[in-house]
Order: sequence, then C-alpha cells, then structure tokens
Amino acid sequence: MKKAITKLVEFSIQRPKLVVLLTIILTALFAIQFPKIKIDTDPENMLRKDEPIRVFHNQVKKEFGIEELIVLGIVRDDGIFHQDSLEKIKKITDEILKIKGVIADDVVSLTVTNNVVTKNGTLNVRPPMLEVPKTLEDLERLEREILDNPLFKDRLVSSDGKGAAIYIPIESKDIAHEIGEKVKAIYQKEKGPEKYYLAGLPIAEDTFGYEMFVQMAFTAPMAGGLLMIVFFIIFRRISFVLPPMMVAMLAVVWTMGALIGSGFTVHIMSSMIPVFLMPIAICETVHILSDFHEKLPQVNDRKKAILQVFDELVKPLFFAPITTAVGFADLALADIPPVKVFGIFIAIGVMIAWLLSMTFLPAILVLIKEKKPILKEESGSRILGWVGRFSLGKSLAVVIAGVILLSVALYGITLLIVNDNPVKWFKKHHPIRIADRELNKLIGGTYISYLVLEGSSEDDIKKPEVIGYIEGLQKHLSKNSLVGKTTSVVDVVKRVNYVLYDEDKRYEILPTDKETMGQYLFLFLMSSSPDELDNFIDYSFKKANIWVQLRSGDNRDMTSVVKDVDDYVKGNPLPKGMKMEWSGLPYLNITWQGLMVTGMLKATIGTSWVVFFLMILQFRSFWWGAVGILPLAFSVVFSYGLIGFGGKEYDMPIAVCSTLAIGLGDDFAIHFIQRFRYRYQETGNLQSAMELTMGGEPALAIFRNAFIVGLGFLPMVFATLTPYMTVGLFFGSLAFFAGITTLIFLPALIGSFKGLLLKKFKHEGV
Amino acid sequence: MKRRFKKKAGFMVAIILMLAIALNVFASTADEIIKKSQAAFFYPGKDFKSRIIMKLISKGGQERIRELTMLRKNYGEHGGDQKYFIYFFHPADVRGMTFMVYKYPAKDDDRWLFVPAINMVRRIAAQDKRSSFVGSDFTYEDVSGRDIEDDTHVIVREERIGNRDCYVVKSTPKAADVDYSYKISWIDKANFLPLKEEYFDKRGQPYKVFSADEIKDIKGFPTVMKRTMKNLQSGHRTEVTFTKADYNLGIENSLFSERYLKQPPKKWIE
Repeated sequence: MKKAITKLVEFSIQRPKLVVLLTIILTALFAIQFPKIKIDTDPENMLRKDEPIRVFHNQVKKEFGIEELIVLGIVRDDGIFHQDSLEKIKKITDEILKIKGVIADDVVSLTVTNNVVTKNGTLNVRPPMLEVPKTLEDLERLEREILDNPLFKDRLVSSDGKGAAIYIPIESKDIAHEIGEKVKAIYQKEKGPEKYYLAGLPIAEDTFGYEMFVQMAFTAPMAGGLLMIVFFIIFRRISFVLPPMMVAMLAVVWTMGALIGSGFTVHIMSSMIPVFLMPIAICETVHILSDFHEKLPQVNDRKKAILQVFDELVKPLFFAPITTAVGFADLALADIPPVKVFGIFIAIGVMIAWLLSMTFLPAILVLIKEKKPILKEESGSRILGWVGRFSLGKSLAVVIAGVILLSVALYGITLLIVNDNPVKWFKKHHPIRIADRELNKLIGGTYISYLVLEGSSEDDIKKPEVIGYIEGLQKHLSKNSLVGKTTSVVDVVKRVNYVLYDEDKRYEILPTDKETMGQYLFLFLMSSSPDELDNFIDYSFKKANIWVQLRSGDNRDMTSVVKDVDDYVKGNPLPKGMKMEWSGLPYLNITWQGLMVTGMLKATIGTSWVVFFLMILQFRSFWWGAVGILPLAFSVVFSYGLIGFGGKEYDMPIAVCSTLAIGLGDDFAIHFIQRFRYRYQETGNLQSAMELTMGGEPALAIFRNAFIVGLGFLPMVFATLTPYMTVGLFFGSLAFFAGITTLIFLPALIGSFKGLLLKKFKHEGV
Repeated sequence: MKRRFKKKAGFMVAIILMLAIALNVFASTADEIIKKSQAAFFYPGKDFKSRIIMKLISKGGQERIRELTMLRKNYGEHGGDQKYFIYFFHPADVRGMTFMVYKYPAKDDDRWLFVPAINMVRRIAAQDKRSSFVGSDFTYEDVSGRDIEDDTHVIVREERIGNRDCYVVKSTPKAADVDYSYKISWIDKANFLPLKEEYFDKRGQPYKVFSADEIKDIKGFPTVMKRTMKNLQSGHRTEVTFTKADYNLGIENSLFSERYLKQPPKKWIE
C-alpha cells in the first residue's frame, strides 16, 4: 500500500506538468455536469417517498382536495372596512385569479368565497363582497356579516377588523416563490395606508431554496477569501496559499460534478457538501504543507523535501481520510434519503481530496519556484510545547478537569430544546419572518394541519355522536393558545341551521338527528360549487377533516398540540368504529424532525463506532482506539452542551453540522497519535516524544487546522439564512473543541494511562 | 379623371355595402343558429319529464350520486319563461327533498327548496345564473339556457364531429362579470343540438368542456340522453344520464306551487 502511494507521489513530482494537465482535463469533465443541476428545496423530501405519514398526507390532500396555500394579509391600522381598502382587495383578488399556477377556483377571498346568509326570508349564497359597499352603513353591514360567520372570522378577516386575508392555492410547492413574486408585483402597485404580508410554509420553503443559491454565491466565496487570508497569515506566501485552496476547490468541483452528473438532485443537505468538504480537504493539505516547510530548509531541494514529507506522513495521510470517508459513508445506513446522498458524496469527496493531495499537490509544489526559505521561528510551537509539557506533567489534574468539563457539557445537553421551523431559517428581519409574525397575530394562523376522522362505513360522519365528538374536540382545541382556529363540517352544519332559522343565535347549534344533518349538508352542497365541502368531508361521508390552524411553525408547538389531542382522546374515547390521524405540513415537519434528530443521532453514534473500530485496527490497540475517538466525541458533546446552555434550539442544520466532527476529530486524532507513536518509537522516551510532537510540526499543523477551520467559516455568520450562520458558528466550535481535546487532553491522557497505552505498544514494537 | 374617380368611389361604396350586408347576414346567421340550438336543446315539447342520474366525480375518482325526477313546463315562446320541479330520490337521507325554479330569461330566477327533516320551505336567492346547479359542474344556465342577447355570436368555421356536420360558433359575453371569457360551441347542422362546448377562462386557458355523449329521438324530439361537463382546472366532472324521458305529458300549472313542493303528487315524480 505504502509503496503504491509513494510511487504515485514520485510520478507526480517527476511529471508535474502532465499531472496538472490531467487534473485540468478531469476538472473540466466534472464541471460540464453543472448545467444539469436539479434543485430540490422541499423539506418533505427528507422523508422517503413511501414513508407512511407522507403517503397519508398525499392521500388526505387528494381526498379533501387540499392544495398548498400561500396567504396574503392586507392590514390597515384604522380598520380594513374602508371603501378604498376593500376596492384594493377586490382588485388584487381579480389580479391573483389571473396568475398562472394559481388554482383560481379555490382562491379564498372576500369577493369570491360564498357566504350563506338570510335576507327577508330568502336564503342567499354569494360572496360577501361581490360589490364594494359605498356607504358607511353598507360598510358596517358587511363587517357585521363577515364577523358574524365563524367560517370567516379570524380566517378571512381578523376579529378586530384590521386585516383581511386572501388564501392562494397553488398547483405545486416548487412554484411558490415565483407566484409569491407575482403577487408582490400586484400589491406593490397599490398606494395607501395598507400593509401587505405574504406568508405560508410553501413560500418559506421555496424562497429558502431560492435564497440558498444566492447565499452560496456570496458566502462561499467569502469563506474562501477569509480562508486565504488566514492561510496567508500562517504561511506568509501567496504561493503557499493557493495550492491548498486549489485542492479544496477541485475536490468540491469533482464531487458536485459527480453528484449532479449521476442524476441526484441538489437538496438543502447536499448543497452543504462543499462547505463540509473544504475544511476536510484543507486539513489534509495543511499537514503536508506544514511538514514541507519544516523539511525544506533542511534539505534545500523541493523534490527531496516532498519525498521526505510523504515518507513520514503517508500513513496518517491515508488513514485519516479513509476513516473519515468510511465514517461518512456509514451515514448511508440512515433512513433519510438526503442524508444518504450527503454521506456517500462527502465520502467520495474526501477520497478525491486525498487523491489530489497525493498527485496534484506535490506536482504544484514542485512547479512553484521560490528562492527564500519560508518560515520564521514559530512562536506557536513554543507555546504548544509548553502546553504539552504542562499537560503531561499535570496529567491527572488535566484529566480530572476534562471529566468535570465533560459532565458539565453533558448537563448542558439535557437542556437542549429540539425544535425546528422552516420559517426560522430566515433571520428575524427577513420579510418572510416579519410577514409570518404579523399575519399570525392577525388571523387564526398560517400553519395549517389536518385532523382526519375516519369511520368504517359510508355516512358515518353524519351520525350525531360523531359530529358531536368533532364539536367537542374543536371546543377543546379553541382553549389551546397555540391553536388559532379550527374549522370543520360542524361549523358548516351549524351555519346552515342558524341561517335556516333566520339567523337566530339559539339555532347556532347542531341538529340532533342524522337525517337533518344529511339534508343540511345536501342543502349546502346544492347551493354552492361542487367542491365547496371537499376540504372538510369526503364524498361518501366516511371521513371528516378538521382544519387546525396554528399560529407558529415551531415543530415544538405542533408536538404540543398533538399531545393535547392525544390526552383529550384518552379522556374522551373516539366514537365506536372511528379512528383519527394527523396530517398536513406542520405535522410532516415534526415527523421528519423526529427522524432527523433521532436519525442523525443514531447515525452519528453508529459512525463513531465504525470510526472507533477502524482506529483500533490501525493502531492495533483497543486503548489507543479509545483515546483516538475522544476528539470526535468530545467536540460533539462540548458543542452540544454549549448549545444547550446558550439556549439555541437543536434543529436540522445543527444535526447535520455535527457530522463535521467526524472529519475533524479523525484528522486531528490520527495525525497526533500516529506521529506521536512514530516519535516515541524513535526516542523510546515519553517526555521527549511528547516534546517533539507538541513542540514540533505535528501539533502545529493540528493547531493551524483548528485555527483555519474555526476562523475560515466565520463569514457565514453574516449570511441571511440561519442554517448558514449555524454552520459558521458550529464549525468554529467543533474545530475549537476538537483542537483542545487533541492538544490538551490527549497528552494528559497518554501521561495518565501510559502503563496501559505505552507498555503494550512498546511490547509490540510497531 | 374625375369620372374615373367617381366610378372608383362608386365601386368602393358598393363593395363596402356588400361587405356590410354579408357581415350582417353572417352575424344574424350566428344568432339564428344559437336561437335554433336553444329551442332544440332547452325548449322541446310543451313539457318534459325525466328520471335523472347525476354522477359527481372528483379528480381523485370519488363519486357522489344523485337521483332525481325533473319536470319542466314551457310558458310562451321558445326562449321564454319556464318552470322546473325537481324531486330527489338519492342520496337516501335527502329523499323527499324538492326544488322548484321559475326561470325568466331577462331577470333573476325564483327558487324554492323544501327541507323535509324540518318541514320547511325556503326561498333561495338567485342573482347568479352562473352558479352551480344542485352542486354539479353544470350551472343553472347550462340546464335552462342563457339569454341570447347576453353574448355576441360569431360563426368561426364549420367542422365535422364524428359523422355530424357542425357549425362552430364563438360566443363572447358582453358583460365582464361572467366566470369565463368566451365559449366555442359545436352545433349539429341537422338537429341544432350542441355536441360539444369549450369554455375558456379569463387567462385564455381551457376551463370547462361540455359534451353530448348520447342522443335519442323521443316523440320526434332529438334528446341528449347522456351529457358530461368537466372542469379542466379542478379535474371535477359531472355525468348526467336521462332515463324515462318523455314529452307533452300535460303537466298542470298547479304542480309548480309551494303546496306540492311539500307533498308532490306520486304520478309526476315516479
């Protein structure tokens, strides 16, 4: 193995131009795949297509004719019931109906949605605002009519009369952003005191996808730029800044080209692959460059220096990426499709980066002509040497301090709040966040989930005990502050009864027999369009759908409402033969969050075991494997603990980011241990081996890596999308903790357990 | 020179006149066709009775079935007033519900509904003839006709549908408050029944399609026994089948009253 790799390196330094040319050709081949890119921003795809909850969600959508909804809110502080404001609502509604991709028939607005009222003994089914009222009297009458109807109040108009809403169903989620822009263009033409808010999960999700790419275009180069500056600070030579950057960039291009070329969609997760690959690829090159710098002044010949570097480093340079790659590939066992793709392609990318480090990097290093020796005396090495001596000298104290810190971090983890909300992927002041806040203050909630009650035979829903049960459940939910509004067939039947008896409040109740129920529903169906009731009831009256509108998209809140309903059902058992199930986007979100959190946790733990096992194999020692896994484990535990104390919520981006610990932890531990043992083998003395490791190039390279990764991704903190901010901060935290664990705790552990670690090792004599 | 000019001018005037006449004739022919079509489709016989099965089918293939008896009586000329009486047999829990419409071409209909469970007759307001007829994809206009004066009619071309020669007529509503922007009708040259109609929405997209699926002669009146209206945008469709259709039965005027709405005579509804 070592021979083959050394051959590869030798070839690259003998024929550098050929290697560079080949690299360019291959890069071009991967790059031409890019135009084939297919983007997928639907968080729903976190779930397998055949995941039962997803199948049920689609079935519910089909059966109840439910479409993805965007909500436009129009607010006027002194009340929306002014002639000019209402005229705008009419005009805007008319314009929206003309947008392609809008399901015009199902748009809900004051001017198109039917209301049932009674006037001079005549039943009247028509939209409340066919014509805009002109007199004050008529305006007041309209306001009364709308707020009097529970089907409209807090849905079409807020109960304080300040805002109105237009619900815009669209043909598919992936045109939400495009349609949103067209709706925006319509209301932006209007002048006046009204404020407009556009919200709804589909628009948040689709806009996220759109902005994701804008962000990639801004933050990725920004991160790249800062990485170069950090590199320059460390190496002080442009010519030594470029090679690692090139290796990282090429690895990204090859990997993404392979991903796109093999027909995978670029999902929110896979769009993060470049950000994950860059630090891992850079770590690898920094080890080579650091060692190269140390060797070059001694031998004063570039080719010789390179060969010496690879002679010493070939083992850790191979084992670190292979361990990382296997670790990431292990994510393919997770039950989340985008995570599989993510894991496999990072594994591929890591190996590509390794290959480039063995070929392209040495070739470039040969081609660069530089006269002066490069590095000055490193103050970093002096400090690190001191740290090494301290940790080794006070090893037991350091280990105890580590254990205390670890338990504090573990306590922090118990404080973690698991929560996600696609709307919160935008920063607080993003128009989508503002619209979300304002609109949910105004109307009964833009987060619509569905509770489906299913009987065993036709007409079951018309049974008084069933319809009465729905009424009771709705009454219960109305007391839950997280629920803004519930709507069901119960409200329709009550409304019909109320209107038939000349809008007498005493009749705003449910009829008591099945026959009346049936005739009321028929009456309503007869007097409205064919699909008017579809949203609430299926064709055979076997299933009913209760709309539960939530004011917040926090998965935590949806979970709490689900629990509330579960408790209610425990106390009030469902009528015989009935069953009940949740559906809708907010519910789907908590399902994939569950999968994501437990799934990623399981995957990370599983991966850690794989990495542990690989380390035992390569160190040929159980105890060394145990020590080697610590930087990975500690960096995750400490980072999670920090999040727990900091009160930040554990969401999807964090779950994903923690996998970088595999890349960093592996790299640091393997380089440290392999090279320490190499030096221990040479000197046979613990103190001097540690001095050489900590005071020399190995520790310095690890320190540089931690520094580069920690700082290099900081610009992402300025991204407008919070997942990118999270990446910036979390990468920093992981790099910091992985570095500290390796550089402080590993020497102390080696000191404390030298009997266990070194005796056996020496005995075997690697 | 002058004379030649005069001659030329005279020639031009003649052509313009001829064109105008031709156009006018054309236009009146289109109106004429629609008028004949309405007479054949909505007004045959003095009165009419049929058992009707109405299937409402959702995009997903779910079905709702309605079974009813419909009675119609004409008052005055073709294109004039009509009265409709409808008795529901199915769904089972609405058996006995009745519905009555007085149709006036130039003003809002009068409609009444009887709800047997609470023994109550209610008038239903009807300002919109484009609203759904008993919850189906057909509108009241699709059942009882639309005022000829409400649209401008133009013959677009002539075309065969199957083995039938048809006029293809484009009808554009004069007012803007209609749910479609124009309609194309294929009208059988022989019996003037509409074989197909296509509605286009305000975006110019295909919106609804009507088709006459089966035509039978009853007492010498060609009658559409099966018809479908499909909403292309929602995917929803309604299939209507006539059975026991008959004309000129001598339906009394007294049937169309609130009294019989509550207690319809057996001989008419069975």
